[in-house]
Amino acid sequence: MNLVQQLINGLILGHAYALIAIGWTVLLGVARLVNFGHGQMYMIGAFMAWWATAPLGLPYPVAVLVAVAAGALLGLLVQAVMLRLTLEQNLVSIMIVTLGFGHVLRGAASLAFGGTPQVLETPPSLIEFELAGAWITAQDLLIVAAAILVFALLRGVVERGRLGRTARMVAEDPKLAQLAGIDVTRVYLAVFAFEGAAVALAAALVAPRTPILTSIGFEEVIVTFVVVVLGGIGSVAGSYLAGVGLGLFTALFGGFVSPAYTTAASFAVLTAVLVLRPGGLAAGRAVR
Amino acid sequence: MSDVVLEARDLVVAYGGNLALDLPHLALRPGELVGVVGANGAGKSTLVNALLGWSRGTPRISGSVRLAGEEIGALPTHERVRRGLLLVPEGGPVFGRLTVAENLAAAEAAAGRRGYTEAEVFDLFPRLRERLHHAGAALSGGERQMLAIARSLRLGPRALLLDEPSIGLAPRLVSTVLRTVRRLVDAGLPVLLVEQNVRAAIEVVDRLVLLERGRILAEGPVAAMRDDPRIIEAYLGDTVA
Amino acid sequence: MPAFLLAAAAILGLFLPQWLGGAATSALVVIAIFAIMAYGLDIVLSDLGEVSLAHTVFFATGAYATGLLATRTGFGAWGTLLGAMLAAAVIALLLGLLTLRLREFVFSLVTYAAAVVAAAVAHNWNFLGGSDGIVGIPTFDLSLGPLVLVARNDAELWPYAYAALLLVLWFVARFRRSRLGLVAVMAHLNPRLATMSGVDIARTRLAVFVLSAPVTALAGWLYAYQRAYVGPDLFESYFLVLMLTAVVLVGKRLLPGPLLGMALVLGQEKFLSFGGDVDAIILGLALILVLCFVPGGLVGAIRPLLRRLRPAPTH
Repeated sequence: MNLVQQLINGLILGHAYALIAIGWTVLLGVARLVNFGHGQMYMIGAFMAWWATAPLGLPYPVAVLVAVAAGALLGLLVQAVMLRLTLEQNLVSIMIVTLGFGHVLRGAASLAFGGTPQVLETPPSLIEFELAGAWITAQDLLIVAAAILVFALLRGVVERGRLGRTARMVAEDPKLAQLAGIDVTRVYLAVFAFEGAAVALAAALVAPRTPILTSIGFEEVIVTFVVVVLGGIGSVAGSYLAGVGLGLFTALFGGFVSPAYTTAASFAVLTAVLVLRPGGLAAGRAVR
Repeated sequence: MSDVVLEARDLVVAYGGNLALDLPHLALRPGELVGVVGANGAGKSTLVNALLGWSRGTPRISGSVRLAGEEIGALPTHERVRRGLLLVPEGGPVFGRLTVAENLAAAEAAAGRRGYTEAEVFDLFPRLRERLHHAGAALSGGERQMLAIARSLRLGPRALLLDEPSIGLAPRLVSTVLRTVRRLVDAGLPVLLVEQNVRAAIEVVDRLVLLERGRILAEGPVAAMRDDPRIIEAYLGDTVA
Repeated sequence: MPAFLLAAAAILGLFLPQWLGGAATSALVVIAIFAIMAYGLDIVLSDLGEVSLAHTVFFATGAYATGLLATRTGFGAWGTLLGAMLAAAVIALLLGLLTLRLREFVFSLVTYAAAVVAAAVAHNWNFLGGSDGIVGIPTFDLSLGPLVLVARNDAELWPYAYAALLLVLWFVARFRRSRLGLVAVMAHLNPRLATMSGVDIARTRLAVFVLSAPVTALAGWLYAYQRAYVGPDLFESYFLVLMLTAVVLVGKRLLPGPLLGMALVLGQEKFLSFGGDVDAIILGLALILVLCFVPGGLVGAIRPLLRRLRPAPTH
């Protein structure tokens, strides 16, 4: 494949990455929270979309909604269970709890969906056309459009206006936010529901590109970490750029160096960023 | 007792097994400025925080708190705020990453009730108008304190609790802030003022509550308390500047 | 407890397999091995207060180093032991230097990423056997001159696994009383005070992190011989969740905590199993529920009950 094709590939991949990571970005930016079960929530989102289309025979757009609803519910559930830890800002326990939650999800998915790899077949992924020598599908365009839409919405809604202000107040000082009459608990629940919904949306759109297994999700976690760190923790615009950048890097690395070690290469990028600008990683920066 | 705006009964706060506050009764009436004084660790901050069920730690709080006749002692902090019980905690914390305008606007958005208008707030604290587009973190200590109070006023207070508004401020600023508080009270807003600077407090308050080790040691009109030997000895004697 | 009682208990433990019967032997060996694995994480999580998600890497490193050295260079068990611990320490040092200035979740995030990437590398790198792993690891042999110390099966391996466990327990107990152990707790609970007392927090964290890796690698070394096979499944998040659960389940900073926790979890999996998937759910739920609702661990939950059972003192 030539360079232009890899670049087009990279752009699509990059938007997929940005979409996968956006939930984490908001989680971190708004609530100073993390979710190490992110990858497994992606996996569940993919399975829910598959389950709604193949066994249930629902149309794809409905399946996306099913996945998103399931993701939001899962997010709510996690947050409801660990609410006390969140209010105490006990990040150490939150990390471990979300990791345990990921483990539970994987066990539950194996029980429910078994060990066979599934393929999420969607009408848009069957529509192919050529662009500058590269074959792309309507599904790819859908991913790009969805990513741009979600990021634009976030920048418009969350960063300006009342919702964004509330979010930034909670991010900066949840205790003080209570004294401004903000129901911090509800904000936390909402943010986690958004995280779950966003990653499920990403899964429903991106998963048709690869087989769906209960063991997927780890690569998505690395991608998310790199995007979040590279983009500046909690920064919406930064995540978008970082996602696209990482997508381009991965496509070029996979195309010209080695497809097997793209995850390792992403980690190398993460490492380089950490060594070069550890100061830029100060946690808890508001969504901006 | 229908004219009591804020009333606490049997308010008890404990950290682990340690009793931090044991308050049988406290009332705040319209247009009244009550000063709460006492040494460091006497439970002054614990008292105002407990009235909102608020704390940076995790104490156990029990007892009754009534605001305008309604029992709010079991409500979460933000619900008490929405009902009009406002607290400016120690140090006058503001949202440092939000601008002054956002700090003030955010308050308005959170309130369901009409509070002080922006114009009224700027009338009280003209300095804030000049700093409108600066980040909270860029303000001086005095400006921060003003912003913290202004933000609470925007939320439509029925009663205002101020925790050491003068701490860390230059003497001239202390009297400015306290005089502004007095103006608020004279306009009808009841204020509970925690103050370590007893000399400054005595000049503005109507009533004084002396706390020691979480209990009320003495309480009464400021005129009487001014001559209370315990106050004189502890706070107005020559040893204390 | 007096020293002689401890010594007596320690010696009695040697005969546990005989008392419990044949079926329990392999369970006991695995519990000992995985408990050792968990103790490495324990000193990082409980004492240093950091969540390292890279300890699966140290575990797998120990096992892989053992497998590689034993099959390709013919090292005996002493040589592989040294190799396993050294390799893990080196990797921990590299990872530690990289994350030296990172705290809280960024540290954990990088360690987690490192674990995922290490798994991907193990799957793909032919030098490490790729997805097939390394098979044909020879019999465990620690013979010294005329002294024959060989373990051909779980029953024969038990004394060594048990001895290693006791050694690790002794090591962790000593660590907690050592200067480094005390400084680590100080840096964890009050970093500002620690700094003002002249503690170099970054160096303390690095030291504890590097120290913890060979402990977990020791488990990998034993596990390689126990299974006679090493593969990329060692990087599974199962081991990570297992370690974390063992550390928090019974109670943090409690010397026998991780051992008891591991015994509970593996006991359930061996003798009360509901199948792998349900067991995974149980394990994950145990971790979640303990942290969310009994943060003091099972001991913390039981203590008030015990107090209530005790007769009230008469005045």
